[in-house]
Amino acid sequence: RALLVRRGGALRALCGSVRGLAAGQETHFGFQTVTEAERREKIYQVFESVAKKYDIMNDSMTLGIHRVWKDILMHKMNPSPGTLLLDVAGGTGDIAFRFINYVRSVRERQLQRKLKHHQNLSWQEISESYQEDKFKSLGDSQVVVCDINKEMLKVGKQKAQHLGYSEGLSWVLGNAEELPFDDDKFDVYTIAFGIRNVTRIDLALQEAYRVLKPGGRFLCLEFSHVSNPLLSRLYDLYSFQVIPVLGEVIAGDWKSYQYLVESIRRFPPQEELKAMIEDAGFLKVDYQNLNLGIVAIHSGFKL
Amino acid sequence: RGPGSARPQPLEPSLLRFLVCPLSKRPLRYEEATNELINEELGIAYPIIDGIPNMIPEAARTTQKKPPAEGLKQP
Repeated sequence: RALLVRRGGALRALCGSVRGLAAGQETHFGFQTVTEAERREKIYQVFESVAKKYDIMNDSMTLGIHRVWKDILMHKMNPSPGTLLLDVAGGTGDIAFRFINYVRSVRERQLQRKLKHHQNLSWQEISESYQEDKFKSLGDSQVVVCDINKEMLKVGKQKAQHLGYSEGLSWVLGNAEELPFDDDKFDVYTIAFGIRNVTRIDLALQEAYRVLKPGGRFLCLEFSHVSNPLLSRLYDLYSFQVIPVLGEVIAGDWKSYQYLVESIRRFPPQEELKAMIEDAGFLKVDYQNLNLGIVAIHSGFKL
Repeated sequence: RGPGSARPQPLEPSLLRFLVCPLSKRPLRYEEATNELINEELGIAYPIIDGIPNMIPEAARTTQKKPPAEGLKQP
């Protein structure tokens, strides 16, 4: 059934591209066909609606496993102090906070090692060196969180205040397809569970390429395709039978979670996304399946 | 809560290193009086609300009488 929908969708898209100039290019919203403008609006509304319950829903739907996926992303990134990260569609801050924790602990280990070498200095000298490093607990690392949705950013900013994150963190309301950042600025670009909701993925990838420094890394964490037939069936069952119900019970919003599940099915599989990333100019593009492809991390470099 | 709330939060200064106009990718001027980021060339101003710059073109206001020439994408 999904295959028919996909083929039908492709045919509709082809007809749409001929007709679509007035109403905007035809595209999909889950399994529906809509114009690009409608899709953007609908997706905005989905996230406006789920923002306050976003974290709880993530924990419920994935049984907390989304935390592990995000941890794996951070370990793969392995940022060193001084790294400039742009986290796009980063709304509620999950990646940003992990980044800060990571560079902070790397920095602490660096400082500890430095102090060990100070065995023969006077107390004065030691306390002086301690003080100058004190103001650089992140070692000049910075993360900019960019999201198109005001509500998601609001939740993120509140979380940051609540958890005590302030240094090295900033928030920007912006569109992944049209980033308000200068060329060649960031060391790493991440988009976690966001690219699926972008209407023009090609534009977002081009923008990612543009804002990265030469040598910079693109990392995308996103739901992907499961090829194992048994797991695929179980996953479908869980997705279509359980998740929208959870959405209704926990967030009072069946439709948004129906969209979520459908959007995962509509999203390009691993190899296709890899090709799109390469089209944007990235090199050494690769992907890593997590949980047999339920989720995948794609990586590429601007070289 | 509207944009005119009592004490507007200032922009995180380090952001000025990275931020440009999303349309023209050209530098912006921070106007402290109105708490906006101004693109002089295109005559548009992006608001900063609760310390968060709103860099969506549709949200920007024009600083001149006539609206910008190019058509803007739908949200």
